[in-house]
Amino acid sequence: MVNRRELIKWASVALGTGLSASLQQALAAGVDSTGKHDFFTVEQATMVSVISELIIPTTDTPGAIAAGVPDFIEAMVADWYTAGEREIFMMGLAQLDKHCLTQYKTVFSHCDAVQQSSALSWSETQSKHYRGADLLGSMGSDAPFFTKIKELTVLGYYTSKIGATQELRYNPMPMAYNGDVNFSDLGRQWSY
Amino acid sequence: MTQTTEFDAIVVGSGISGGWAAKELTEKGLRVLMLERGKPLQHGADYKGEHMAPWDIPLGGKPPRELYEEQYPVQSTSYAFDETTRHFFNNDRDNPYTTAVDKPFDWIRADVLGGRSLLWARQVYRWSDLDFAANKKDGHGIDWPIRYKDIAPWYSYVEKFVGVSGEKRGFKHLPDGEFQPPMEMNVVEKAAQKGIESSYDDRFMTIGRVAVQTQARNGRGACHYCGPCQRGCSVGAYFSSQSSTLPAARNTGRLTILTDSVVEKLDYDAATQRISGVQVIDSNSREKRVYRAKLVFLCASTVASTQILLNSTSATFPRGLANRSGALGRYLMDHTLGTTAYGIMPGFDDKYYSGNRPNGIYIPRFRNVDGQDTDVDFLRGYGYQGGARRLGWKEMSGRISGFGKEFKNSLKKPGPWIMYLAGFGEHLPDANSRMTLDKTKVDSYGIAQVKFDSAFGDNENKMRKDIATEGEGMLNAAGAVMVGSMIGSGPPGAGIHEMGTARMGDDPTKSVLNKWNQAHDVPNLFVTDGACMTSSSCVNPSITYMALTARAVDYAVTQLSAGNI
Repeated sequence: MVNRRELIKWASVALGTGLSASLQQALAAGVDSTGKHDFFTVEQATMVSVISELIIPTTDTPGAIAAGVPDFIEAMVADWYTAGEREIFMMGLAQLDKHCLTQYKTVFSHCDAVQQSSALSWSETQSKHYRGADLLGSMGSDAPFFTKIKELTVLGYYTSKIGATQELRYNPMPMAYNGDVNFSDLGRQWSY
Repeated sequence: MTQTTEFDAIVVGSGISGGWAAKELTEKGLRVLMLERGKPLQHGADYKGEHMAPWDIPLGGKPPRELYEEQYPVQSTSYAFDETTRHFFNNDRDNPYTTAVDKPFDWIRADVLGGRSLLWARQVYRWSDLDFAANKKDGHGIDWPIRYKDIAPWYSYVEKFVGVSGEKRGFKHLPDGEFQPPMEMNVVEKAAQKGIESSYDDRFMTIGRVAVQTQARNGRGACHYCGPCQRGCSVGAYFSSQSSTLPAARNTGRLTILTDSVVEKLDYDAATQRISGVQVIDSNSREKRVYRAKLVFLCASTVASTQILLNSTSATFPRGLANRSGALGRYLMDHTLGTTAYGIMPGFDDKYYSGNRPNGIYIPRFRNVDGQDTDVDFLRGYGYQGGARRLGWKEMSGRISGFGKEFKNSLKKPGPWIMYLAGFGEHLPDANSRMTLDKTKVDSYGIAQVKFDSAFGDNENKMRKDIATEGEGMLNAAGAVMVGSMIGSGPPGAGIHEMGTARMGDDPTKSVLNKWNQAHDVPNLFVTDGACMTSSSCVNPSITYMALTARAVDYAVTQLSAGNI
């Protein structure tokens, strides 16, 4: 039996003829899925995967999809979000599709890479009124859709093994404190 | 009920004070029973959050909000509380308490063997006679029955065992201790230190004095700079009962520990004028037992020790054991916390650090040090803890607009250096700041709940404003830009430095304990946790509890041998 994750992978690839090569590759590679969550529909899960990879794409290091961010987002939306937060998130996905239908005559997942990027930029402009993070970087419950999905993408990515160890630096046993290091010698910030 | 076992001494509580009492008593040859209301916990093996990788922490480190709201509304306000440490904390739902109307109080409690010694922020500062003479000088509270010279050798004694790293600076009102090599200030803190110390004659900045070893010693390791000590440290680099005093006490072969043992009350025998038994409820079976010993050391924490005394009524002591004075439950103090100045330190964008230092900087009190300052509208003073660090991806990501490759690459680099100074202000002793027992409300053991009636007063609020103003001034002197501050509004308890309620004093009509932490009217009862404090100083109190405990045990055992107890 084809599991849901396989279905999303398949759907993404089948739909995504207009997607950038790197995004197609990321979607095709998929992620190790725990299979615990089936909160999103296949269409919604595909959208979330594409958006997360648009926010943190594959560069010289793996991107959001390889780091398992879509699963993380689904788990947080399903289990951690309040009803109000969940509604903002799901409405945001729907509005993004609606925007794409108006602008490009097709839903977000069927748009090409340029259109998807433009659509996400449009979504960001819809969030510009929001006051932003508090001192510690946490977003409020009332944060708009773009702010929410960006926050979850960032959190999921930089707390993932890939994000913490490949994109950033991680060392649980530093053994010493050096308070005067040249950043250029490290090149990447600590993950904590 | 029944089952009686004979011990030389019973220690109630296994935290900082209880651990020291057990170590000292057993090392002096006494057979000790330690009673801990929390769960058993094995050093190392039960530190399940230790070194937990970010990707293994549930929810990316976000709090499970429903659970916290329902079961941990108070505990979850602690900086040390998250999913890597929750198993150390009390469940608020199962351990209720009440407060006077509109007077919140945060009672942060551990629920495991080792108590809050596992969770403390490990800052170690000696008191001086500026503190011990403060009450006498301005008339708030009663005079301390001791001075610095009485406790100084005991500070040295405990510090040598604790393993305190710090820098000797010769401050007259913040005495140097027995220090291991200090941790290092980072490059920005060093610049700030230079800026502050060259701008003011009376203000100094030093690396935090901290109960974290920088050199391995006594079977305990040196710090490996992983960062979050509160998750537990299986090499024992930071001092806790679990890493230090309990192993020492166990090594004597004379320590018996009973966990899940809630002390309900102490029995008083009017004929002998002694405590004759300690009544205990097994928190699992709810079975009641009585234990007997010649000596009782109450080290359950400021509030819990006084709760036990208030609950121990008798014909002789209808208002609570050892409460002839009526002072029991009164003069509850904490430190004001949360008033913080902050700014961005420019000019160091090419500088960073490696290692996660579990410590910051300290700026000792400078207000009202040589008498009352003419330009200051409050009594006593405050100190700052703080530090400099670069903002990380979590704090920066919401401030960087856009998405994609450029966004991702911008988060490779840390954000600007920020420096912050957080003030800890002294809380004047006040008879109306108190805890009582609410006889109309009992907990699941049938024990009357604690009711807090405490608030910071005018002096503390004036001090908070000064903390913000002077903090901003010093950050400007340090070279910071975009300097700002916020005035903390946290209730008493939030500082987790609660003190008082069974204060020491020479006058038995005004105090509960004498200068040896011994109850004036009950010779075999000693209270050596924060309850004994006659004033609050502005420095972190734990090392003083340790020194007072070791000193009290020395006295108690001498008196016991002499047949006086």
